Amino acid sequence: MTFTDCTRVALGALVRYPLRTAMMLLATAIGVAAVLVLTALGEAARRFVAEEFQSLGTHLLVVLPGKTETSGMGPGLMAGESPRDLTLADARALLRSPAVAKVAPIVVGAATVSFDGLERDITVMGSTASLLEVRQWRMAGGEFLRDQDWDRASPECVIGDTLRSELFVGRQPVGQWLRVGDRRCRIAGILARQGMSVMVNVDELVIMPVASAQQLLNAPGLFRVLVQAAGRDSVMPARRDMEQILKERHRGQEDVTVITQDSVLATFDGIFGALTAALAGIASVSLVVAGVLIMNVMLVSVSQRTAEIGLLKALGANRSQVTRLFLTEAVILAAFGAVAGVTFGQAAIFLMRSLYPDLDFDPPLWAVAGSFLIAIGCGALFGILPARRAARLDPIAALAGR
Amino acid sequence: MPAPMIRLESLSRTFQVGDALVRALDQVDLGIEAGEYLSIMGPSGSGKSTLLNVLGLLDTPTAGAYWLNGVNTSAMSDDQLAATRQSQIGFVFQSFHLVPRMSALENVELPMLLAGLDPAERRERARAALAGVGLTGRSDHRPAQLSGGERQRVAIARAIVMQPKLLLADEPTGNLDTASGAEIVRIVEGLNERGLTLIVVTHDAQIGERARRRLRLRDGRVVEDLRTTRP
Amino acid sequence: MQGRDLLRFTTRSALSHRLRSGLTALGIGIGVTAVVLLTAIGEGLHHYVLDEFTQFGTNIIGINPGRSTTFGAATGVFGAVRPLTIDDAEALKRVPFVLNTVPIVQGTASAEGGGRERSTNISGVGPEMPAAFDFQVALGGFLPADDPRAPRPLAVLGATVRHELYGERNPLGELLRVGGERYRIVGVMESKGQVLGFDLDDTVYIPAVRALELYNRQGLFEIDVLYDKSASADEVVAGIERMIIARHGGLDVTITTQQQMLDVLGSVLDVVTFAVAALGGISLLVGGVGIFTIMTIAVRERTAEIGLLRAVGAGRGQVRAIFLGESMLLAALGGVGGLLAGTAIVALIGVAVPLLPVRLSLPYVAAAQAIAVLIGLIAGVVPAQRAAALDPVAALRTE
Ligand SMILES: Nc1ncnc2c1ncn2[C@@H]1O[C@H](COP(=O)(O)OP(=O)(O)O)[C@@H](O)[C@H]1O
Ligand SMILES: [Mg+2]
Repeated sequence: MTFTDCTRVALGALVRYPLRTAMMLLATAIGVAAVLVLTALGEAARRFVAEEFQSLGTHLLVVLPGKTETSGMGPGLMAGESPRDLTLADARALLRSPAVAKVAPIVVGAATVSFDGLERDITVMGSTASLLEVRQWRMAGGEFLRDQDWDRASPECVIGDTLRSELFVGRQPVGQWLRVGDRRCRIAGILARQGMSVMVNVDELVIMPVASAQQLLNAPGLFRVLVQAAGRDSVMPARRDMEQILKERHRGQEDVTVITQDSVLATFDGIFGALTAALAGIASVSLVVAGVLIMNVMLVSVSQRTAEIGLLKALGANRSQVTRLFLTEAVILAAFGAVAGVTFGQAAIFLMRSLYPDLDFDPPLWAVAGSFLIAIGCGALFGILPARRAARLDPIAALAGR
Repeated sequence: MPAPMIRLESLSRTFQVGDALVRALDQVDLGIEAGEYLSIMGPSGSGKSTLLNVLGLLDTPTAGAYWLNGVNTSAMSDDQLAATRQSQIGFVFQSFHLVPRMSALENVELPMLLAGLDPAERRERARAALAGVGLTGRSDHRPAQLSGGERQRVAIARAIVMQPKLLLADEPTGNLDTASGAEIVRIVEGLNERGLTLIVVTHDAQIGERARRRLRLRDGRVVEDLRTTRP
Repeated sequence: MQGRDLLRFTTRSALSHRLRSGLTALGIGIGVTAVVLLTAIGEGLHHYVLDEFTQFGTNIIGINPGRSTTFGAATGVFGAVRPLTIDDAEALKRVPFVLNTVPIVQGTASAEGGGRERSTNISGVGPEMPAAFDFQVALGGFLPADDPRAPRPLAVLGATVRHELYGERNPLGELLRVGGERYRIVGVMESKGQVLGFDLDDTVYIPAVRALELYNRQGLFEIDVLYDKSASADEVVAGIERMIIARHGGLDVTITTQQQMLDVLGSVLDVVTFAVAALGGISLLVGGVGIFTIMTIAVRERTAEIGLLRAVGAGRGQVRAIFLGESMLLAALGGVGGLLAGTAIVALIGVAVPLLPVRLSLPYVAAAQAIAVLIGLIAGVVPAQRAAALDPVAALRTE
């Protein structure tokens, strides 16, 4: 019996019982679609986070004061202090490395801002002109901080969108004088609305020259130093150089932590990758259930088609041919089910995409291929038992229909 | 004169098969008294089974009326029909219709189970019914372990266990050898002698002739209605 | 038909096709196992996280400088305009129901001692810290109750620091150098292990004021207030607010009760558990398709039987009940099997991998059972309806 004949006979048998064939297809399709949709979700989350970090800037490194030997995001790393501050001079020294392109020192604090009788608590960030480029933020109007001597505490600032809308209702903020804590600054520009960007709500910021912010907040040390490496290949050399420079400046002590964007990205990638794989695994359980259903229905159909099998045997079909016939049926079911599942899944993903255009839902290729293979594998595996049972039927008894 | 047990008034049962209208029963008028023994004969396709199914409330006529014990059955709901079948009518089929996974006793218990009788009572009555058809000691056998004649006797026990007033048998001997068939006929005639109204469809003339009243159908009409008055 | 008889009837007919019924139930069983297992992991995680948090006690209120919060953390950690001081911490002790206050300054520094050096976390705290957070001292004692404004330079080591610097030696009385200052070691804490990936034992505890000097800071990171369990958190918070307003001239701090944090955390974890349960439910859905298919086949195979049942007096309702009962029975069997399998696996994980937090979630176990039976019911409706609607005469003719 050729492969084509085998397929034709199997297809004929499937078409004869349209309802149960449809149900087996449905079961397999649900499983495959579940794998696709769930992995697409996991993948979308991974990409979202990756893009968040990418939006931090390119080839970015972050220097934080303090270092502990045990890894992990302890309170010491998140918000802790270290006995030796990172200073503006430290930040400037980092520019000595040829691998470093740009440096943006950062201080952060809270202050009350007021304008024309309106008041609001807000986060104040002190930095330099290079911050805009390092963080790849956009301006909505006016100018960002001027590129000037870092030690100059000039009275200028840039505000976020929330502040603009809350304090300057219907007025042009650029050029106005804003009260921040016990100081005043002239608004040079407004940041474009961009919402959360990695732990900082950009819309709720007031940005001023780093020296001004240090005086306002009475903070001699820097909170962080953002560094842009000269290129992708310069990230690791930059990290080495920076650690070396700061060690020298801190009398041989390694008391800072340098994080590269890539390493954080890799960590998150790993976490979300594992999450996606776990989701795929959970969804695959339903493929196994579909396989059990295929086995069950095939067993029923073997017992219902006993006479037919007896006839085949009487006509000279051997065991392996009968086995092949039923296995083909199971695999065809699984394969068609998988095709239907991919179609369903893609339809659902299309729907999700139109509902949440911000997220990039797309099942990874391994999930599509994997669910397909698992479905067919389940079909074949669970088809074996019924097929063997059919093959072992005694032709005489089978013909008698018993 | 008391009303007859069964009265059919120009009763028709038609089937639409494609474009054709098949008149399985065509304006049948018939009265049957309680306790009668009636055989229905006729060529294949003449409407014998249809008549029996209508009489047994399994099928509903398309026209005409069927009065059972003075009640017009066309007014009965589906549940009332089922309840009437349960309490007043017993069926025996050519192909026995035993549930293969159940023992002889359980098959006989089935109508009582549906009626919601208590297990102890069910068991007792089922055993008695089986004993009545000569199957004491075969209660635990499954249909597959019984001969054709024995199977039909289980079916008869099941048909009478609810003590119906009407027993309908559709070619009860059709699947049996002569000896077993004769045994079945003897059993149902015995039941008739004890007052049960008996209607037997058959195409075996010898069996048909035994009935005191003999109907002959052709193309859904009663073409002959003979009575033998007992001496 | 009596309920008991219906059950027996359906059981018997399910048992007459053992393999088929078994496989049908298996489909549901796998789904229930998945739900039981996944929710056990979710629930275990829930308890694990809550345990980690409540080990510091639930009657704690945290006070952070700064009013507005960005991303959950009070902006005060960046250095607020008005600092929280040691004096604030002392004054808060006078608020009704307050048992203790613990000032906290956190950071990192290099600690030298025993001829070795280690970068470690520094916690500047008050002497009541072990009592408030339920930490135990393993060796010596904790920081003594010195004048909180001018405490002696004493230090207590976390287990990791002690081990890294002194090995098995007794470090009590030795001198430890932290950021240019020398501290005498008076105690070693018992190991607390990791909390959410952070090694609590990699810490040196010094008096809060000295930590402020070390880091050249004005204000504390946080003041933790331990209050009497019998008092309501709202009452204590109100007292704290009055005290802060009296001292600062305004409410420029953020007050977080442990209970609020636990509530938020708890509801997030509940959502996670629900989500994984729903994922497991996909398999239940497929199992339901299985029941539907098999019941449809059963109705078709047993047409003659249905005809007979109708002939001997079964109403449509009874026929429907029989097939619905059978489909629910199969689902319930699968449910119980899945429950047993899931429970067994959870128990096995508990024994084999004690580190993995798993814990049976009874509400979800019950829900999985109920949903399994419900799926049986839904999957059975169409086939049972089909059986009930069969024309008895036609049904009797098939064989
Ligand atoms: N369900 C049905 N649909 C269509 N035609 C039917 C149906 N049942 C019976 N008939 C037709 O009605 C006629 C009488 O049938 P039946 O009562 O079974 O005959 P008998 O039992 O006398 O052999 C036949 O022509 C048969 O083909
Ligand atoms: Mg007939």
